[in-house]
Amino acid sequence: MVAYFATEPESLLADALNGFCRVHADLVVRDAGGGYLRARHPSPGRRVGLVSGGGSGHEPLHIGFVGAGMLDAACPGRVFTSPHNRQILEASRAVAGPEGVLHIVKNYTGDRINFGIAAERLAHLGIPCARVLVDDDLATATDGPGPGRRGTAATVLVEKVLGAAADRGADLPELLRLGERVTARCRSLAVASRSHALPATGDPAFELARNEVEFGVGIHGERAERAIPREPLTRLLERMTDPLLAALAPAREEPVILLVNGLGAVTELELYAIHDAVERLLHKRGVTSARCAVGEFVTTLDMRGFSLTLMVTDRETLELYDAPVHTPVWRW
Amino acid sequence: MTCDGVFTGRWVRWFAESVSTTEPELTDLDRRVGDGDFGTNLLVGLTTTIRVLDGSPGAPGSPETPPAAGPLEMMAGVFLDEVGGTSGPLFGLVFQELAAAARAAGPVLTGAAVEQGIDAGLAAVRRVGEAEPGDKTMVDALLPAVTAVRRAGPLPADRALALAAGGARRGVSETARLRARRGRAGYLGDRVTGVPDPGAVGVALLFASAAGPVTALSPWWERGVTRAHLPGTRLDGPESGTDTGTGAGVPAGR
Repeated sequence: MVAYFATEPESLLADALNGFCRVHADLVVRDAGGGYLRARHPSPGRRVGLVSGGGSGHEPLHIGFVGAGMLDAACPGRVFTSPHNRQILEASRAVAGPEGVLHIVKNYTGDRINFGIAAERLAHLGIPCARVLVDDDLATATDGPGPGRRGTAATVLVEKVLGAAADRGADLPELLRLGERVTARCRSLAVASRSHALPATGDPAFELARNEVEFGVGIHGERAERAIPREPLTRLLERMTDPLLAALAPAREEPVILLVNGLGAVTELELYAIHDAVERLLHKRGVTSARCAVGEFVTTLDMRGFSLTLMVTDRETLELYDAPVHTPVWRW
Repeated sequence: MTCDGVFTGRWVRWFAESVSTTEPELTDLDRRVGDGDFGTNLLVGLTTTIRVLDGSPGAPGSPETPPAAGPLEMMAGVFLDEVGGTSGPLFGLVFQELAAAARAAGPVLTGAAVEQGIDAGLAAVRRVGEAEPGDKTMVDALLPAVTAVRRAGPLPADRALALAAGGARRGVSETARLRARRGRAGYLGDRVTGVPDPGAVGVALLFASAAGPVTALSPWWERGVTRAHLPGTRLDGPESGTDTGTGAGVPAGR
Protein backbone atom coordinates (compact mmCIF):
# COMPACT_ATOMS: atom_id res chain seq x y z
CA MET A 1 0.00 0.00 0.00
CA VAL A 2 1.17 3.53 -0.90
CA ALA A 3 -0.18 6.60 0.88
CA TYR A 4 -1.24 9.44 -1.41
CA PHE A 5 -0.48 12.81 0.18
CA ALA A 6 -3.82 14.06 -1.09
CA THR A 7 -6.23 12.70 1.51
CA GLU A 8 -9.36 13.94 -0.28
CA PRO A 9 -9.69 11.78 -3.40
CA GLU A 10 -13.07 13.38 -4.11
CA SER A 11 -11.64 16.87 -4.52
CA LEU A 12 -8.20 15.90 -5.86
CA LEU A 13 -9.00 16.78 -9.48
CA ALA A 14 -10.70 20.10 -8.73
CA ASP A 15 -7.91 21.11 -6.35
CA ALA A 16 -5.25 20.16 -8.89
CA LEU A 17 -6.97 22.11 -11.67
CA ASN A 18 -7.19 25.16 -9.39
CA GLY A 19 -3.49 24.95 -8.69
CA PHE A 20 -2.57 24.31 -12.30
CA CYS A 21 -4.55 27.27 -13.57
CA ARG A 22 -3.11 29.58 -10.94
CA VAL A 23 0.47 28.59 -11.78
CA HIS A 24 -0.11 28.86 -15.53
CA ALA A 25 -2.51 31.81 -15.41
CA ASP A 26 -0.56 33.48 -18.23
CA LEU A 27 -1.35 30.56 -20.54
CA VAL A 28 -4.64 28.90 -19.56
CA VAL A 29 -8.08 29.94 -18.35
CA ARG A 30 -10.41 27.55 -16.59
CA ASP A 31 -14.12 27.55 -17.21
CA ALA A 32 -15.19 25.65 -14.11
CA GLY A 33 -18.89 25.67 -15.04
CA GLY A 34 -18.18 24.35 -18.52
CA GLY A 35 -15.60 21.89 -17.20
CA TYR A 36 -12.76 22.78 -19.54
CA LEU A 37 -9.49 24.71 -19.78
CA ARG A 38 -8.79 26.98 -22.72
CA ALA A 39 -5.80 28.85 -24.05
CA ARG A 40 -5.58 32.42 -22.81
CA HIS A 41 -3.74 33.50 -25.98
CA PRO A 42 -4.82 31.12 -28.74
CA SER A 43 -2.88 31.24 -31.99
CA PRO A 44 -4.21 34.02 -34.19
CA GLY A 45 -5.27 32.99 -37.63
CA ARG A 46 -6.64 29.56 -36.79
CA ARG A 47 -9.71 28.65 -38.81
CA VAL A 48 -10.39 25.51 -36.77
CA GLY A 49 -10.32 25.11 -32.99
CA LEU A 50 -8.50 22.09 -31.53
CA VAL A 51 -10.10 20.29 -28.59
CA SER A 52 -8.93 17.20 -26.77
CA GLY A 53 -9.65 15.61 -23.44
CA GLY A 54 -9.96 12.39 -21.55
CA GLY A 55 -9.78 10.94 -18.09
CA SER A 56 -7.43 12.54 -15.57
CA GLY A 57 -4.51 10.72 -14.00
CA HIS A 58 -2.36 11.07 -17.15
CA GLU A 59 -0.94 14.52 -16.37
CA PRO A 60 0.47 16.56 -17.96
CA LEU A 61 -1.83 15.24 -20.76
CA HIS A 62 -4.04 17.07 -21.87
CA ILE A 63 -4.07 20.26 -19.81
CA GLY A 64 -0.32 20.77 -20.06
CA PHE A 65 -0.58 21.09 -23.83
CA VAL A 66 -3.16 23.86 -23.97
CA GLY A 67 -1.77 27.03 -25.51
CA ALA A 68 -0.53 28.66 -28.68
CA GLY A 69 0.64 26.07 -31.17
CA MET A 70 -1.24 23.13 -29.64
CA LEU A 71 -4.69 22.74 -28.06
CA ASP A 72 -7.27 25.51 -27.84
CA ALA A 73 -9.09 23.62 -25.09
CA ALA A 74 -8.85 20.46 -23.00
CA CYS A 75 -11.62 18.66 -21.12
CA PRO A 76 -10.43 16.69 -18.08
CA GLY A 77 -12.70 13.90 -16.89
CA ARG A 78 -12.49 12.29 -13.48
CA VAL A 79 -9.52 9.97 -12.94
CA PHE A 80 -9.50 7.40 -15.75
CA THR A 81 -13.05 8.42 -16.72
CA SER A 82 -14.10 10.07 -19.98
CA PRO A 83 -15.20 13.70 -19.77
CA HIS A 84 -18.96 14.27 -20.00
CA ASN A 85 -20.24 15.21 -23.44
CA ARG A 86 -21.35 18.59 -22.06
CA GLN A 87 -17.75 19.53 -21.20
CA ILE A 88 -16.70 18.70 -24.75
CA LEU A 89 -19.66 20.56 -26.22
CA GLU A 90 -19.00 23.68 -24.13
CA ALA A 91 -15.28 23.64 -24.90
CA SER A 92 -15.96 23.14 -28.62
CA ARG A 93 -18.45 26.00 -28.74
CA ALA A 94 -16.02 28.26 -26.91
CA VAL A 95 -13.05 27.68 -29.21
CA ALA A 96 -14.61 26.74 -32.56
CA GLY A 97 -13.10 28.72 -35.42
CA PRO A 98 -14.95 30.00 -38.47
CA GLU A 99 -14.48 26.53 -39.99
CA GLY A 100 -15.40 24.56 -36.92
CA VAL A 101 -13.62 22.35 -34.45
CA LEU A 102 -11.38 19.28 -34.53
CA HIS A 103 -11.57 16.68 -31.77
CA ILE A 104 -8.41 14.72 -30.99
CA VAL A 105 -9.62 11.57 -29.24
CA LYS A 106 -7.73 8.67 -27.72
CA ASN A 107 -9.24 5.36 -28.73
CA TYR A 108 -11.29 4.28 -25.71
CA THR A 109 -15.00 3.42 -25.77
CA GLY A 110 -16.03 6.06 -23.24
CA ASP A 111 -14.10 8.83 -24.98
CA ARG A 112 -15.44 7.82 -28.38
CA ILE A 113 -19.02 7.90 -27.14
CA ASN A 114 -18.80 11.19 -25.27
CA PHE A 115 -16.93 12.99 -28.04
CA GLY A 116 -19.42 11.43 -30.44
CA ILE A 117 -22.42 12.78 -28.53
CA ALA A 118 -20.81 16.22 -28.42
CA ALA A 119 -20.25 16.01 -32.19
CA GLU A 120 -23.95 15.19 -32.75
CA ARG A 121 -24.93 18.21 -30.67
CA LEU A 122 -22.47 20.45 -32.52
CA ALA A 123 -24.03 19.31 -35.80
CA HIS A 124 -27.43 20.45 -34.51
CA LEU A 125 -25.88 23.84 -33.70
CA GLY A 126 -24.44 24.10 -37.20
CA ILE A 127 -20.80 23.91 -36.03
CA PRO A 128 -18.68 21.67 -38.30
CA CYS A 129 -16.77 19.05 -36.35
CA ALA A 130 -14.38 16.25 -37.26
CA ARG A 131 -12.43 13.70 -35.26
CA VAL A 132 -8.88 12.40 -35.33
CA LEU A 133 -8.61 9.13 -33.42
CA VAL A 134 -5.24 8.32 -31.84
CA ASP A 135 -4.59 4.57 -31.66
CA ASP A 136 -0.86 4.04 -31.30
CA ASP A 137 -0.58 1.27 -28.68
CA LEU A 138 1.05 -1.64 -30.44
CA ALA A 139 0.31 -3.97 -27.50
CA THR A 140 -3.36 -3.94 -28.49
CA ALA A 141 -2.90 -4.52 -32.21
CA THR A 142 -5.11 -7.39 -33.36
CA ASP A 143 -6.44 -8.56 -36.65
CA GLY A 144 -10.15 -8.44 -37.27
CA PRO A 145 -12.95 -6.60 -35.47
CA GLY A 146 -12.78 -5.30 -31.93
CA PRO A 147 -12.08 -2.04 -30.15
CA GLY A 148 -8.75 -1.56 -31.97
CA ARG A 149 -5.49 -0.21 -30.60
CA ARG A 150 -5.62 2.04 -27.54
CA GLY A 151 -4.55 5.66 -27.72
CA THR A 152 -1.50 6.50 -25.59
CA ALA A 153 1.61 8.68 -25.63
CA ALA A 154 1.60 9.50 -29.36
CA THR A 155 -1.33 11.80 -28.54
CA VAL A 156 1.04 14.65 -27.64
CA LEU A 157 2.90 14.34 -30.95
CA VAL A 158 -0.39 14.31 -32.86
CA GLU A 159 -1.58 17.36 -30.93
CA LYS A 160 1.68 19.16 -31.70
CA VAL A 161 1.66 18.46 -35.43
CA LEU A 162 -2.04 19.27 -35.84
CA GLY A 163 -1.69 22.41 -33.72
CA ALA A 164 1.04 23.74 -36.00
CA ALA A 165 -1.02 22.92 -39.09
CA ALA A 166 -4.04 24.70 -37.58
CA ASP A 167 -1.79 27.73 -36.92
CA ARG A 168 -0.97 27.82 -40.63
CA GLY A 169 -4.67 28.14 -41.37
CA ALA A 170 -5.43 24.55 -42.42
CA ASP A 171 -9.14 23.89 -42.83
CA LEU A 172 -11.07 20.99 -41.31
CA PRO A 173 -10.64 18.48 -44.18
CA GLU A 174 -6.91 19.27 -44.38
CA LEU A 175 -6.47 18.73 -40.64
CA LEU A 176 -8.44 15.51 -40.81
CA ARG A 177 -6.28 14.17 -43.65
CA LEU A 178 -3.08 15.18 -41.86
CA GLY A 179 -4.35 13.66 -38.62
CA GLU A 180 -5.11 10.36 -40.30
CA ARG A 181 -1.72 10.37 -41.97
CA VAL A 182 0.28 11.00 -38.79
CA THR A 183 -1.72 8.69 -36.53
CA ALA A 184 -1.13 5.90 -39.04
CA ARG A 185 2.60 6.50 -38.73
CA CYS A 186 3.12 6.35 -34.97
CA ARG A 187 3.19 3.44 -32.55
CA SER A 188 3.98 3.06 -28.85
CA LEU A 189 4.79 0.31 -26.39
CA ALA A 190 4.80 0.57 -22.60
CA VAL A 191 6.31 -1.53 -19.82
CA ALA A 192 5.99 -1.36 -16.05
CA SER A 193 7.88 -2.83 -13.14
CA ARG A 194 5.25 -1.72 -10.59
CA SER A 195 1.59 -0.80 -11.02
CA HIS A 196 0.13 2.54 -10.01
CA ALA A 197 -1.67 2.88 -6.68
CA LEU A 198 -5.36 3.69 -6.56
CA PRO A 199 -5.87 7.22 -5.18
CA ALA A 200 -8.81 6.25 -2.98
CA THR A 201 -7.13 3.36 -1.17
CA GLY A 202 -3.43 3.48 -2.01
CA ASP A 203 -3.62 -0.17 -3.03
CA PRO A 204 -1.74 -1.31 -6.12
CA ALA A 205 -3.94 -1.74 -9.19
CA PHE A 206 -2.21 -5.05 -9.91
CA GLU A 207 0.58 -7.15 -8.46
CA LEU A 208 3.85 -8.01 -10.17
CA ALA A 209 6.49 -10.34 -8.87
CA ARG A 210 9.78 -8.76 -7.87
CA ASN A 211 11.63 -9.68 -11.02
CA GLU A 212 8.84 -9.25 -13.52
CA VAL A 213 8.08 -6.58 -16.09
CA GLU A 214 4.57 -6.09 -17.44
CA PHE A 215 5.18 -5.95 -21.19
CA GLY A 216 2.55 -3.93 -23.08
CA VAL A 217 0.77 -2.33 -20.12
CA GLY A 218 -2.02 0.23 -20.80
CA ILE A 219 -2.14 3.78 -19.48
CA HIS A 220 -4.97 2.90 -17.09
CA GLY A 221 -3.08 -0.09 -15.81
CA GLU A 222 -4.73 -2.46 -18.29
CA ARG A 223 -2.85 -5.71 -17.88
CA ALA A 224 -0.63 -6.83 -20.69
CA GLU A 225 -0.87 -10.20 -22.35
CA ARG A 226 2.24 -11.27 -20.48
CA ALA A 227 4.75 -10.38 -17.82
CA ILE A 228 8.36 -11.14 -18.72
CA PRO A 229 11.35 -11.72 -16.47
CA ARG A 230 13.51 -8.67 -15.80
CA GLU A 231 16.43 -8.52 -18.24
CA PRO A 232 19.28 -6.18 -19.22
CA LEU A 233 17.97 -2.78 -20.34
CA THR A 234 19.37 -3.05 -23.87
CA ARG A 235 17.60 -6.38 -24.35
CA LEU A 236 14.30 -4.96 -23.04
CA LEU A 237 14.61 -1.95 -25.34
CA GLU A 238 15.27 -4.20 -28.33
CA ARG A 239 12.19 -6.16 -27.41
CA MET A 240 10.22 -2.88 -27.53
CA THR A 241 11.88 -1.08 -30.44
CA ASP A 242 12.03 -3.91 -32.95
CA PRO A 243 8.26 -4.53 -33.09
CA LEU A 244 7.67 -0.77 -33.32
CA LEU A 245 10.03 -0.56 -36.31
CA ALA A 246 8.49 -3.66 -37.85
CA ALA A 247 5.01 -2.17 -37.57
CA LEU A 248 6.02 1.24 -38.91
CA ALA A 249 8.59 0.15 -41.50
CA PRO A 250 10.20 3.56 -42.01
CA ALA A 251 11.93 4.02 -45.35
CA ARG A 252 15.61 4.92 -45.32
CA GLU A 253 15.03 8.62 -45.92
CA GLU A 254 12.25 8.85 -43.34
CA PRO A 255 13.52 10.02 -39.96
CA VAL A 256 11.55 9.37 -36.79
CA ILE A 257 10.59 11.39 -33.75
CA LEU A 258 11.34 9.47 -30.57
CA LEU A 259 9.36 10.01 -27.39
CA VAL A 260 10.67 8.47 -24.16
CA ASN A 261 7.78 8.88 -21.75
CA GLY A 262 7.82 8.20 -18.02
CA LEU A 263 4.56 6.72 -16.70
CA GLY A 264 4.76 8.48 -13.35
CA ALA A 265 7.47 7.07 -11.10
CA VAL A 266 10.56 6.45 -13.21
CA THR A 267 13.49 8.75 -12.45
CA GLU A 268 14.72 11.22 -15.04
CA LEU A 269 18.11 9.66 -14.57
CA GLU A 270 16.71 6.40 -15.92
CA LEU A 271 14.67 8.05 -18.67
CA TYR A 272 17.77 9.70 -20.13
CA ALA A 273 19.71 6.45 -19.86
CA ILE A 274 16.85 4.73 -21.69
CA HIS A 275 16.93 7.43 -24.33
CA ASP A 276 20.65 6.98 -24.82
CA ALA A 277 20.27 3.22 -25.28
CA VAL A 278 17.34 3.59 -27.72
CA GLU A 279 19.29 6.10 -29.83
CA ARG A 280 22.17 3.63 -30.13
CA LEU A 281 19.73 0.89 -31.00
CA LEU A 282 18.03 2.97 -33.68
CA HIS A 283 21.40 3.87 -35.15
CA LYS A 284 22.29 0.20 -35.29
CA ARG A 285 19.03 -0.49 -37.12
CA GLY A 286 19.81 2.25 -39.64
CA VAL A 287 17.02 4.54 -38.45
CA THR A 288 17.62 8.27 -38.02
CA SER A 289 15.96 9.88 -35.05
CA ALA A 290 15.52 13.49 -36.11
CA ARG A 291 13.92 14.77 -32.90
CA CYS A 292 13.39 13.40 -29.45
CA ALA A 293 11.60 14.30 -26.26
CA VAL A 294 12.33 12.77 -22.87
CA GLY A 295 10.19 13.26 -19.79
CA GLU A 296 6.68 12.70 -18.45
CA PHE A 297 3.99 13.48 -21.01
CA VAL A 298 1.29 10.82 -20.65
CA THR A 299 1.39 9.16 -17.25
CA THR A 300 -0.53 6.55 -15.29
CA LEU A 301 -0.69 8.15 -11.84
CA ASP A 302 2.43 6.80 -10.10
CA MET A 303 3.11 3.75 -12.26
CA ARG A 304 6.76 2.72 -12.37
CA GLY A 305 7.03 2.30 -16.09
CA PHE A 306 7.86 4.00 -19.35
CA SER A 307 6.77 3.96 -22.93
CA LEU A 308 8.56 4.42 -26.23
CA THR A 309 6.80 6.14 -29.11
CA LEU A 310 8.10 6.40 -32.65
CA MET A 311 6.53 8.69 -35.22
CA VAL A 312 7.74 8.35 -38.79
CA THR A 313 8.03 11.78 -40.35
CA ASP A 314 8.39 13.52 -43.67
CA ARG A 315 9.57 17.06 -44.27
CA GLU A 316 6.16 18.53 -43.59
CA THR A 317 5.50 16.77 -40.30
CA LEU A 318 9.02 17.61 -39.07
CA GLU A 319 8.45 21.28 -39.91
CA LEU A 320 5.14 21.17 -38.06
CA TYR A 321 6.77 19.54 -35.06
CA ASP A 322 9.46 22.26 -35.08
CA ALA A 323 6.96 25.13 -35.36
CA PRO A 324 6.73 27.44 -32.32
CA VAL A 325 4.66 26.31 -29.36
CA HIS A 326 3.89 27.94 -26.04
CA THR A 327 2.13 25.72 -23.51
CA PRO A 328 2.75 24.85 -19.86
CA VAL A 329 4.82 21.81 -20.89
CA TRP A 330 6.24 22.44 -24.35
CA ARG A 331 7.75 25.78 -25.36
CA TRP A 332 10.02 26.37 -28.33
CA MET B 1 -56.38 14.08 -31.54
CA THR B 2 -54.33 17.26 -31.85
CA CYS B 3 -50.75 16.30 -31.15
CA ASP B 4 -49.54 19.72 -30.01
CA GLY B 5 -47.35 20.71 -27.08
CA VAL B 6 -50.04 19.60 -24.64
CA PHE B 7 -49.88 16.14 -26.18
CA THR B 8 -46.07 15.91 -26.07
CA GLY B 9 -46.01 17.40 -22.57
CA ARG B 10 -48.43 14.74 -21.39
CA TRP B 11 -46.38 12.10 -23.19
CA VAL B 12 -43.22 13.16 -21.37
CA ARG B 13 -45.07 13.17 -18.02
CA TRP B 14 -46.52 9.70 -18.69
CA PHE B 15 -43.05 8.49 -19.65
CA ALA B 16 -41.75 9.81 -16.32
CA GLU B 17 -44.61 8.05 -14.54
CA SER B 18 -43.86 4.79 -16.39
CA VAL B 19 -40.19 4.91 -15.45
CA SER B 20 -40.96 5.88 -11.88
CA THR B 21 -43.33 2.90 -11.48
CA THR B 22 -41.10 0.37 -13.22
CA GLU B 23 -37.72 1.63 -11.95
CA PRO B 24 -37.20 -1.34 -9.58
CA GLU B 25 -37.79 -3.73 -12.50
CA LEU B 26 -35.49 -1.74 -14.80
CA THR B 27 -32.80 -1.68 -12.15
CA ASP B 28 -33.14 -5.40 -11.58
CA LEU B 29 -32.81 -6.02 -15.33
CA ASP B 30 -29.75 -3.82 -15.55
CA ARG B 31 -28.15 -5.57 -12.59
CA ARG B 32 -28.32 -8.73 -14.63
CA VAL B 33 -26.79 -7.33 -17.82
CA GLY B 34 -25.10 -4.04 -16.86
CA ASP B 35 -23.97 -2.07 -13.86
CA GLY B 36 -27.42 -1.47 -12.43
CA ASP B 37 -27.62 2.29 -12.83
CA PHE B 38 -29.84 2.46 -15.90
CA GLY B 39 -33.19 2.77 -14.12
CA THR B 40 -31.87 5.39 -11.72
CA ASN B 41 -30.24 7.44 -14.50
CA LEU B 42 -33.44 7.40 -16.53
CA LEU B 43 -35.51 8.36 -13.49
CA VAL B 44 -33.18 11.19 -12.46
CA GLY B 45 -33.30 12.56 -16.00
CA LEU B 46 -37.07 12.44 -16.15
CA THR B 47 -37.57 13.91 -12.69
CA THR B 48 -35.36 16.82 -13.72
CA THR B 49 -37.23 17.12 -17.01
CA ILE B 50 -40.56 17.38 -15.21
CA ARG B 51 -39.16 20.09 -12.96
CA VAL B 52 -38.04 22.07 -16.03
CA LEU B 53 -41.38 21.41 -17.72
CA ASP B 54 -43.32 22.62 -14.66
CA GLY B 55 -41.49 25.92 -14.74
CA SER B 56 -41.97 26.53 -18.46
CA PRO B 57 -44.70 28.18 -20.56
CA GLY B 58 -47.38 25.69 -21.41
CA ALA B 59 -47.23 23.95 -18.03
CA PRO B 60 -50.64 22.76 -16.76
CA GLY B 61 -52.69 25.79 -15.80
CA SER B 62 -50.74 28.27 -17.91
CA PRO B 63 -52.48 29.89 -20.88
CA GLU B 64 -50.14 29.29 -23.85
CA THR B 65 -50.01 26.05 -25.80
CA PRO B 66 -46.38 25.35 -26.60
CA PRO B 67 -45.30 23.82 -29.89
CA ALA B 68 -45.02 20.03 -29.85
CA ALA B 69 -41.23 20.26 -29.98
CA GLY B 70 -40.98 22.21 -26.69
CA PRO B 71 -41.25 19.41 -24.10
CA LEU B 72 -39.13 17.08 -26.25
CA GLU B 73 -36.39 19.72 -26.51
CA MET B 74 -36.41 20.15 -22.74
CA MET B 75 -36.11 16.41 -22.21
CA ALA B 76 -33.27 16.23 -24.76
CA GLY B 77 -31.38 19.06 -23.08
CA VAL B 78 -31.64 17.49 -19.63
CA PHE B 79 -30.61 14.02 -20.78
CA LEU B 80 -27.66 15.28 -22.82
CA ASP B 81 -26.42 17.77 -20.23
CA GLU B 82 -27.12 16.24 -16.88
CA VAL B 83 -27.56 12.49 -16.98
CA GLY B 84 -24.54 10.34 -16.23
CA GLY B 85 -23.50 7.02 -17.64
CA THR B 86 -23.62 6.23 -21.32
CA SER B 87 -27.24 5.26 -21.86
CA GLY B 88 -28.72 8.52 -20.52
CA PRO B 89 -26.99 10.73 -23.08
CA LEU B 90 -27.70 8.16 -25.82
CA PHE B 91 -31.40 8.52 -24.98
CA GLY B 92 -30.78 12.25 -25.13
CA LEU B 93 -29.67 11.82 -28.75
CA VAL B 94 -32.98 10.12 -29.61
CA PHE B 95 -34.94 12.89 -27.86
CA GLN B 96 -32.84 15.49 -29.69
CA GLU B 97 -33.75 13.99 -33.07
CA LEU B 98 -37.43 13.60 -32.15
CA ALA B 99 -37.44 17.24 -31.04
CA ALA B 100 -35.71 18.42 -34.21
CA ALA B 101 -38.20 16.51 -36.41
CA ALA B 102 -41.10 17.91 -34.38
CA ARG B 103 -39.66 21.44 -34.68
CA ALA B 104 -39.37 21.06 -38.44
CA ALA B 105 -42.95 19.76 -38.71
CA GLY B 106 -44.43 22.87 -37.07
CA PRO B 107 -46.54 23.44 -33.96
CA VAL B 108 -48.28 20.05 -34.24
CA LEU B 109 -46.52 16.70 -34.23
CA THR B 110 -47.19 14.55 -37.29
CA GLY B 111 -46.80 10.85 -37.94
CA ALA B 112 -44.17 11.67 -40.55
CA ALA B 113 -42.21 13.64 -37.94
CA VAL B 114 -42.41 10.68 -35.54
CA GLU B 115 -40.99 8.41 -38.23
CA GLN B 116 -38.32 10.93 -39.22
CA GLY B 117 -37.37 11.56 -35.56
CA ILE B 118 -37.03 7.88 -34.65
CA ASP B 119 -35.10 7.20 -37.84
CA ALA B 120 -32.66 10.06 -37.18
CA GLY B 121 -32.39 9.02 -33.53
CA LEU B 122 -31.56 5.48 -34.60
CA ALA B 123 -28.90 6.78 -36.99
CA ALA B 124 -27.36 8.99 -34.28
CA VAL B 125 -27.26 6.15 -31.74
CA ARG B 126 -25.68 3.86 -34.32
CA ARG B 127 -23.06 6.48 -35.23
CA VAL B 128 -22.13 7.30 -31.66
CA GLY B 129 -22.60 3.95 -29.97
CA GLU B 130 -21.21 2.08 -32.98
CA ALA B 131 -23.87 -0.57 -32.38
CA GLU B 132 -25.30 -2.75 -35.12
CA PRO B 133 -28.72 -4.38 -35.12
CA GLY B 134 -28.44 -7.64 -33.16
CA ASP B 135 -25.86 -6.29 -30.71
CA LYS B 136 -28.52 -6.33 -27.95
CA THR B 137 -28.79 -2.58 -27.47
CA MET B 138 -31.45 0.13 -27.81
CA VAL B 139 -30.85 -0.06 -31.56
CA ASP B 140 -32.79 -3.34 -31.49
CA ALA B 141 -35.90 -1.49 -30.28
CA LEU B 142 -35.49 1.65 -32.41
CA LEU B 143 -35.11 -0.23 -35.68
CA PRO B 144 -38.36 -2.28 -35.47
CA ALA B 145 -40.10 0.84 -34.15
CA VAL B 146 -39.26 2.88 -37.22
CA THR B 147 -39.98 -0.06 -39.50
CA ALA B 148 -43.47 -0.46 -38.03
CA VAL B 149 -44.24 3.22 -38.55
CA ARG B 150 -42.82 3.32 -42.06
CA ARG B 151 -44.71 0.24 -43.18
CA ALA B 152 -48.04 1.73 -42.12
CA GLY B 153 -47.83 4.85 -44.31
CA PRO B 154 -49.23 8.29 -43.39
CA LEU B 155 -50.76 8.39 -39.91
CA PRO B 156 -51.47 10.86 -37.14
CA ALA B 157 -48.69 11.10 -34.55
CA ASP B 158 -50.47 9.27 -31.74
CA ARG B 159 -51.19 6.33 -34.01
CA ALA B 160 -47.61 6.34 -35.31
CA LEU B 161 -46.31 6.26 -31.73
CA ALA B 162 -48.57 3.29 -30.91
CA LEU B 163 -47.10 1.42 -33.87
CA ALA B 164 -43.60 2.42 -32.78
CA ALA B 165 -44.38 1.05 -29.32
CA GLY B 166 -45.49 -2.25 -30.80
CA GLY B 167 -42.40 -2.51 -32.98
CA ALA B 168 -40.11 -1.62 -30.08
CA ARG B 169 -41.75 -4.23 -27.85
CA ARG B 170 -41.20 -6.93 -30.41
CA GLY B 171 -37.59 -5.74 -30.55
CA VAL B 172 -37.32 -6.03 -26.77
CA SER B 173 -38.51 -9.63 -26.93
CA GLU B 174 -35.89 -10.32 -29.56
CA THR B 175 -33.11 -8.84 -27.42
CA ALA B 176 -33.92 -11.40 -24.74
CA ARG B 177 -32.82 -14.08 -27.17
CA LEU B 178 -29.65 -12.26 -28.23
CA ARG B 179 -26.15 -12.57 -26.95
CA ALA B 180 -24.71 -9.16 -26.04
CA ARG B 181 -21.81 -7.91 -28.11
CA ARG B 182 -21.43 -4.30 -27.03
CA GLY B 183 -21.43 -2.34 -23.80
CA ARG B 184 -20.78 -3.91 -20.44
CA ALA B 185 -23.04 -6.84 -21.21
CA GLY B 186 -20.64 -7.66 -24.05
CA TYR B 187 -18.28 -9.19 -21.49
CA LEU B 188 -20.95 -11.50 -20.08
CA GLY B 189 -21.61 -13.61 -23.17
CA ASP B 190 -24.20 -16.34 -22.75
CA ARG B 191 -24.89 -15.42 -19.15
CA VAL B 192 -27.24 -12.65 -20.28
CA THR B 193 -29.12 -14.64 -22.89
CA GLY B 194 -32.77 -14.70 -21.82
CA VAL B 195 -32.62 -11.22 -20.31
CA PRO B 196 -33.82 -8.35 -22.51
CA ASP B 197 -31.67 -5.27 -22.95
CA PRO B 198 -32.71 -2.52 -20.50
CA GLY B 199 -31.97 0.20 -23.06
CA ALA B 200 -34.32 -1.45 -25.53
CA VAL B 201 -36.95 -1.72 -22.77
CA GLY B 202 -36.50 2.01 -22.13
CA VAL B 203 -37.16 2.76 -25.81
CA ALA B 204 -40.34 0.66 -25.74
CA LEU B 205 -41.46 2.44 -22.55
CA LEU B 206 -40.89 5.79 -24.23
CA PHE B 207 -43.20 5.07 -27.17
CA ALA B 208 -45.81 3.15 -25.16
CA SER B 209 -46.09 6.04 -22.70
CA ALA B 210 -47.57 8.27 -25.42
CA ALA B 211 -50.81 6.33 -24.85
CA GLY B 212 -50.63 6.37 -21.05
CA PRO B 213 -48.34 5.38 -18.21
CA VAL B 214 -47.01 1.81 -18.23
CA THR B 215 -47.47 0.12 -14.88
CA ALA B 216 -45.51 -3.13 -15.18
CA LEU B 217 -42.67 -4.37 -17.34
CA SER B 218 -42.39 -8.06 -16.89
CA PRO B 219 -45.33 -9.29 -18.97
CA TRP B 220 -43.77 -7.57 -21.96
CA TRP B 221 -40.76 -9.62 -22.61
CA GLU B 222 -41.88 -12.80 -20.91
CA ARG B 223 -44.97 -13.00 -23.06
CA GLY B 224 -43.02 -11.72 -26.02
CA VAL B 225 -40.52 -14.55 -25.81
CA THR B 226 -43.24 -17.13 -25.40
CA ARG B 227 -45.17 -15.80 -28.34
CA ALA B 228 -42.10 -15.60 -30.48
CA HIS B 229 -41.73 -19.32 -30.07
CA LEU B 230 -45.34 -20.18 -30.89
CA PRO B 231 -45.74 -21.06 -34.54
CA GLY B 232 -48.44 -19.18 -36.37
CA THR B 233 -48.49 -16.15 -34.07
CA ARG B 234 -48.57 -13.00 -36.10
CA LEU B 235 -45.70 -10.92 -34.82
CA ASP B 236 -44.95 -8.68 -37.72
CA GLY B 237 -48.31 -7.03 -38.41
CA PRO B 238 -49.14 -3.66 -36.91
CA GLU B 239 -52.01 -5.09 -34.87
CA SER B 240 -49.89 -7.44 -32.83
CA GLY B 241 -47.86 -4.50 -31.64
CA THR B 242 -50.63 -2.24 -30.48
CA ASP B 243 -52.41 -4.36 -27.92
CA THR B 244 -52.72 -1.63 -25.38
CA GLY B 245 -55.51 -3.34 -23.49
CA THR B 246 -54.51 -6.75 -22.30
CA GLY B 247 -51.84 -7.35 -19.79
CA ALA B 248 -49.31 -5.03 -21.36
CA GLY B 249 -49.57 -2.69 -18.42
CA VAL B 250 -50.88 0.07 -20.64
CA PRO B 251 -54.43 1.07 -19.86
CA ALA B 252 -56.51 1.31 -23.01
CA GLY B 253 -58.29 4.49 -23.95
CA ARG B 254 -56.11 6.94 -22.04
